Amino acid sequence: MSQVFHDIEKKILETLQQVPNQTPEQLSTNTELSIDQVRRGIEWLRLKDLAIVDESQKITFSLGPNGLDSLKNGLPERKLINMLKDEPKTFDQIRSALSGAGFNVAIANAKKNGWIKIEKNNSESLVSIKEKPIETPEEKLLSFIGEKTISQEQVSNPLAMKILLSRPNYIIETSEKTKTISLTDAALSLDTSASSSGAIDVEADVPSIFAARTHPLQDTIDEIREIFVNLGFSEILGNMTQSSFWNFDALFTPQDHPARELQDTFYLENLESKNPATSSQIKNVSSSHNKNWKYDWKLSESQKMVLRTHTTCVTIKHLAEQKPENARIFSLGRVFRNEKVSYKHLVEFNQIEGIVIGNNTTLRDLMGIQKEFYKKLGLTKVKFWPTFFPYTEPSLQTMVYNEKLGKWIELFGMGIFRPEVTKPLGIDKPVLAWGGGIERIAMLKYELDDVREFYNNNLSWLRGA
Amino acid sequence: MPVVELNINRIRKLVSGNVTRKQILDVLPFLGLDIESEEGDEIRIEYSPNRPDYSTDYGIATGLQGLLGIKKGIQKTPIKKKGNYSIKVDSTVTKIRPYVTGIIASNGKLDDVAIKQLMNMQEDLHDGIGRKRKKSSIGLHDADKISFPLTYTTVSRDHKFIPLNGSTEQTIDEILANTEVGQNYGSVIENAKNVPIIFDSDQNTISFPPIINSGLTTVTSNTKNILIEVTGIDKEAAEDMLSVVISILQTAGFEFNELKITGNKNSTPQLKEKTMIYDPKFTSEIIGIEMSPSNMVTCLKKCRLDASVKGKKITCIIPRYRFDIFSPMDLTEEIALGYGIANIEPKLSPSTTIGQKNDVTIKTKLISQTAVGLGFLEAMNSSLTSKKVLYEMTKRDSSQIISVLDSKSQEHTILRDSLLPSLLDNLSKNIHESYPQKLFETGVVFSKGKPIDESINLAVIIAYKDTSYSEIKAIMQSLLRTNFKINSETKTSKNNELFSKGRHADIFVNERKVGEIGEIDSNILENFRIRTSVVGFEIKLSGLIFD
Repeated sequence: MSQVFHDIEKKILETLQQVPNQTPEQLSTNTELSIDQVRRGIEWLRLKDLAIVDESQKITFSLGPNGLDSLKNGLPERKLINMLKDEPKTFDQIRSALSGAGFNVAIANAKKNGWIKIEKNNSESLVSIKEKPIETPEEKLLSFIGEKTISQEQVSNPLAMKILLSRPNYIIETSEKTKTISLTDAALSLDTSASSSGAIDVEADVPSIFAARTHPLQDTIDEIREIFVNLGFSEILGNMTQSSFWNFDALFTPQDHPARELQDTFYLENLESKNPATSSQIKNVSSSHNKNWKYDWKLSESQKMVLRTHTTCVTIKHLAEQKPENARIFSLGRVFRNEKVSYKHLVEFNQIEGIVIGNNTTLRDLMGIQKEFYKKLGLTKVKFWPTFFPYTEPSLQTMVYNEKLGKWIELFGMGIFRPEVTKPLGIDKPVLAWGGGIERIAMLKYELDDVREFYNNNLSWLRGA
Repeated sequence: MPVVELNINRIRKLVSGNVTRKQILDVLPFLGLDIESEEGDEIRIEYSPNRPDYSTDYGIATGLQGLLGIKKGIQKTPIKKKGNYSIKVDSTVTKIRPYVTGIIASNGKLDDVAIKQLMNMQEDLHDGIGRKRKKSSIGLHDADKISFPLTYTTVSRDHKFIPLNGSTEQTIDEILANTEVGQNYGSVIENAKNVPIIFDSDQNTISFPPIINSGLTTVTSNTKNILIEVTGIDKEAAEDMLSVVISILQTAGFEFNELKITGNKNSTPQLKEKTMIYDPKFTSEIIGIEMSPSNMVTCLKKCRLDASVKGKKITCIIPRYRFDIFSPMDLTEEIALGYGIANIEPKLSPSTTIGQKNDVTIKTKLISQTAVGLGFLEAMNSSLTSKKVLYEMTKRDSSQIISVLDSKSQEHTILRDSLLPSLLDNLSKNIHESYPQKLFETGVVFSKGKPIDESINLAVIIAYKDTSYSEIKAIMQSLLRTNFKINSETKTSKNNELFSKGRHADIFVNERKVGEIGEIDSNILENFRIRTSVVGFEIKLSGLIFD
């Protein structure tokens, strides 16, 4: 049987045929292969029943800091005996000579060995030598180890070792797993030079390649657009720069409303729209404001150019111009808010808004479309709460249960355009409107907690997302 | 949306009945109130700016009583006419702040929590209806410290009194300069020589509207009778504010005495309810549920309105403080709330229209697909960018700059007229990532027109040490040829600081310039701290592959 061997396998086989029983480290040195390559090669050979791997555990001992100290100066009990050679000493005297924990250990061991006796004299305890202290097995073991490292097999008195191991920092015990590789009989007789080569290391690491792709946020935008189209909605486009007339006035936002202030809305410097709408649209919107909000509506305010704060300005303009009898349309794109940028706020983000005019334009239908929309996004636990939007009445918000976060989160808003919005623009039928921000949905999808990531164009994220 | 922090046990007491904590938490969202957080008995509630009465637990309790069926219909506000409370308006206020209105709330008691809530509500009213106190502003005073009648007039700026929370007498000018409210709202009275003031009959200063009250009349937990005065430049807004405060104090247990108002253009507030008669069929058609008129009446009452069926119509009585109700559509929302949003079953009607993507979207997507096929990663940048990236670092012509006013963010002040600068900025922020780096972006760019033209551009950029003009030209031509069969040419162009001299061109299609292409100049790369070669192009897709 002819076998295919990788160069790695060949080198290992040849080395082991000359010197049997080597560790992976030895093989690495002898074959000049990296340790990873050797490990892979051994594994391949083992799977082919050509190599045997013996695992064994080797325990070794050497002296720790206290052991080394005792080697030089004797164990604490030996130090004590040396002190008492000339005359008995009191506890206090001993304590001051043997610092720290050494005192207790020395007294306890010397007593256990039967070396000393202790007499109570008034309030003092006097210690004196009882019999001649001979060298203990522990002391013998200490000097046997010395500064060497010895193996478990070399320990002749296991009891002494057990005692020393129980005393802190005397002995360092090291346990090491070693592998010894040997060849099977079949491998020993293999002629590797006869085997055909040309195999490669199919398990080696290779450089990363990153797929080119569309932006993850764009993917979410496309997915949502697709759902709207499936629900029968047609897409309309509109400018991001809008006159205040379409962004605010046509949507019944009074001219002194806080949302129209510089601190919330981006106004374009020195730019205004001379004719933001037809003269009848202007007349009707103006009188709706004057009548309902009871103030003096000004054309000049409505001519100021802003960056749209919602896509509703696009849909309402379309309705006012086209006056469709029956339509489902949507508008998708960037909207702007003059906010401080943070992990949850951007100055510019994507919004989608759909409207329905014609048949089946009840609040129940609006809720039904929402439910279907979320179902297509894979979100099935949906509920509705009342809320407030300036240009819809009634207004609802959708709450969607997020399994990962384990809580209800607020997503799209919806409502029916106020008659104060539609009537002045010549729209007589109820108009359902619904929509919201897309980044929020994308954040859930990509499990981001910082919305800025979408616009950082951080390659490591884009390449890995 | 504004947020108010409330104690759930207080709400339970106010709602009365044997209402449980859970019932309250379950019903709050169906009043349109979002529970933002819940910590022990303290809950933070987000309310809509059109319902300032929901900024206190009194207002919320009134709403909850309705939805829970504990108390329904309007709570009537009887106003006693006895007592000699009056305020005379001097004609000097006409030019600066012509209107005053008010009422006396008596025989009640407010604890410290209630006072704090009232003060917060007052600030919400000031910011909202009051348009930062310009349109109207409120003052609450301990009525027992005041000798009636009052006079609403003007004084010169050297007039002195002890302001609220003050210890010494200060002049008007000192108050405007030294107090926080003075600094924040002084602009409302501009540079008027004489400013509005309210005196009592002992010539004590009661209030300096719309800035600050006098320290003399501070409302505390010992106050039994309260003077509410509202001044402003809009009579309607002033009475709106007054009505909200009255509704809250009534729930808090106060009774009301009329404050007679006399003087130019001013009159005693009537605080009349509004009556709306409408066809209930409208509501059924909007909600999509067949509901009997009497059922609708019940729903309206649950929303603390009064209603009755008269013939085929419903007559609805709306209390003065519900000035958010304009038309039958608003009543429809009230009926939906009274019915319970959770009880309305969503219905999916089949669409009678066929959905369609916009042509621009479809064609832009085709371009993106080709770019991805050619190995490019899509980038998305803000259309609102900075002068630094758009013009300074790229040395581009900024004569047609389009700026926004008062941006809160330095990085977002200019509308982009080109996509390449942001792509260079993206490369700059990714210099530690592996090369080659290949990016593209499609997006709207802006230019001055009538008043602004918006078009869609495509920009493509390649960065790595061996890239070249030929590579980017091949990419550009491939992008236009694939799907669109557009043949493009490159023609030598006059110098442009973005690109290296002699290594850039204008892109032409059918003898018309559509974009620019070239190797980015080393000085520009240095500005972006990019240490490799970069080539790129930008073309206008509008007018080329769609209109």
